[in-house]
Amino acid sequence: MKLSRHHKFDGFTLSEMMMSVAIGTFILAAVLVSSVALQKSLAAVDNFFDTHMQQIRIMDYLGRDVRRSTIVNTSVDLQTVNCTIPDYIIKAGDPDATGTNIGTRRTPTISQSVNVVKVNYGTTTTTVVFSISGNTILRTENGSVTTIASSTDQLVAKTTDVQLANTEYTASTVTFLPIFTHNDVSMERTGTTAFATAYLRNMRRGN
Amino acid sequence: MKTLRGRNEKGSTFICAVCTIAIISLIGANVLMNATTRYNMTTKQVKGWKEALYAAEAGGDIAFSEVRKVVSSPGNQFTGTGWTTVDSTHWTYTMPAGIGDSNTMTSTVAVDNFTSLGGNPMYRIRSVGTARVYGLRRTGMSDGITGLATNFAATGARGDGDNLLRKIDFNYDHFMATYGDGDGNYKHQQAVPTDASGNPLAQVSRRIELIAVPTLPITGALLASGGFNSGGGVIDSYDSKNGAYPGNSTATNPAAPYYSDSRDANVVDGGSTWNQGGYIYGSVTTNGGNASTARISGVVDNNVPVTQAVQPMPTGQTYQPTVGKAFTPIAGSSYATGPWYLFSSLTGASISNPSGTAETYVNVVVTGDLDTTMTVARGVNVRFYFTGDLSIKGKNFNNNNVDGSPSTNPSRAGHVQFYGISPTAPATQSLNMSPPGDIQALVYAPGGDFHEQGNNDFYGAIVCKTFSGNGSTGFHFDKELGNTAAPLDYRIASYVEDVR
Repeated sequence: MKLSRHHKFDGFTLSEMMMSVAIGTFILAAVLVSSVALQKSLAAVDNFFDTHMQQIRIMDYLGRDVRRSTIVNTSVDLQTVNCTIPDYIIKAGDPDATGTNIGTRRTPTISQSVNVVKVNYGTTTTTVVFSISGNTILRTENGSVTTIASSTDQLVAKTTDVQLANTEYTASTVTFLPIFTHNDVSMERTGTTAFATAYLRNMRRGN
Repeated sequence: MKTLRGRNEKGSTFICAVCTIAIISLIGANVLMNATTRYNMTTKQVKGWKEALYAAEAGGDIAFSEVRKVVSSPGNQFTGTGWTTVDSTHWTYTMPAGIGDSNTMTSTVAVDNFTSLGGNPMYRIRSVGTARVYGLRRTGMSDGITGLATNFAATGARGDGDNLLRKIDFNYDHFMATYGDGDGNYKHQQAVPTDASGNPLAQVSRRIELIAVPTLPITGALLASGGFNSGGGVIDSYDSKNGAYPGNSTATNPAAPYYSDSRDANVVDGGSTWNQGGYIYGSVTTNGGNASTARISGVVDNNVPVTQAVQPMPTGQTYQPTVGKAFTPIAGSSYATGPWYLFSSLTGASISNPSGTAETYVNVVVTGDLDTTMTVARGVNVRFYFTGDLSIKGKNFNNNNVDGSPSTNPSRAGHVQFYGISPTAPATQSLNMSPPGDIQALVYAPGGDFHEQGNNDFYGAIVCKTFSGNGSTGFHFDKELGNTAAPLDYRIASYVEDVR
């Protein structure tokens, strides 16, 4: 019996090998590049969500503090916000603090001048300052600093203080520059802008 | 026999593909998990946190509408559905049904009359709003942010990042456990509500405190919304907390003890007619008039429109049984809780004090003309509401109260107040003041034409539609009246949030 197996075990020619190696290399390179690009893209999405979360947090902090303020001032560059807030909770060291009332709610006093009634929570106030320091947004309450947002995405918060005849509000925007951008950087930043308006509840109806 | 060896080569390709897909899937899954958690936070948890404030403010608004009834419908405040009276100065409210998405937002409110000034109660409204938090039961991803501020008691106790801001209760109410009623009383472990299967439903609560204070009508010595033609008398001011009017030389003597109090007799003319007689120690505004700084010590502005609130007839009060014009009213601790008496007209009234000389409050409604021929005992605070005309004569007007006493309610003029119920325009009320004798009272009649003659003195304040005079009556504004007149309404003067 004669075996005829030569067809099955013929080697590749040099040109076939060259072609297959070239094609294989090309395919592998494409897969690698795609993988890296995909990973970067997914990381960018992850980063975008993370920064968006901080964007919301900044506005929520600002809104909460502005809403309960008696006075709000913003800096010329709109990046620093100063809030003066009534001292609602009695703290150690307050003029009216005793051994038993620390941590309790303060009962306000009422003062009147002709027909203007004013409410005062103690003789001191709490000062809260929002500011930008490098890539972080800081909230400083009576000198104690809390970093409320920190991102490599260049978060920028801007707040405008608007005073009207019988009310006052702040209009805030928070933007960031995604780590993946195309050519038009300003458009990319504009695309991330979030807006918020907060009225000073203590500046309404005849105060 | 044939041998097939091609399968091994196909297998390595398959393994490579599977590994590639697995790696890419892991990356994608990780990103999706992070994105889902952040989406959960930026939508569901933020939504719940904001809704809790909406609920708290809704409760505050409901309570404020009840406070306003102190003016608009006396005696009917805090009586609606959901309200419970704890005692004469404390009330609570529980929202009968939830509001918002699936009725998961609720509010509870506590109101108390924590102080009064000039007989007007001030109300403190404490509202707690609660909203359900949907979505994943996640405390959020750690952002490596550490609470350092003093109000974040026990640093790190609430976790990092968003948990410092939005304090979500997944199993127990953190506020009740840590702060109790807010002052450290009644601390206890209170579980959040559960669903039908007994699974806890995450929620978030926010607490606000509002202070409602009265809107008071007196802003100066004299307000005439439709024109001013004065006589030759001086218009100045004093503060009765320092005692009786010190004399009209005070306003011209900077060394006098109460010199600064003597120059706040502001006059407001809402019309374009302005004819000034005597000197005015205060500021003047008109709406198109020609007031000048001559014989006016303060600022002059001739371009100030005036919107004067009308005086409505009080409603909702319960009248005491009919009494004669000389009567001893039931004691009242404030105008809001004091008794009400009804007359068709009144002249020669004599009101005695049921509590000796202690302060007491009484309201009188006159559905006709009123005459100031009357005697008011010391300690009696009386408000007359009248629909007809007012005849003002000092000779038989005996206000036995004393300036400066008591220190909490020092105005003699403030003890006797006349409120003209605004007639339907163009009808007006007639307010005629004639000599002799002095008057110590407040006259608030925005629909009345005030006319004075003679050379007597008026201590107090006047609000009317038009003012005219041909005598030399001196008007001396008691600055304490700004605090004691009947409120036109209530307003929210303070808002704070308990962010613990």
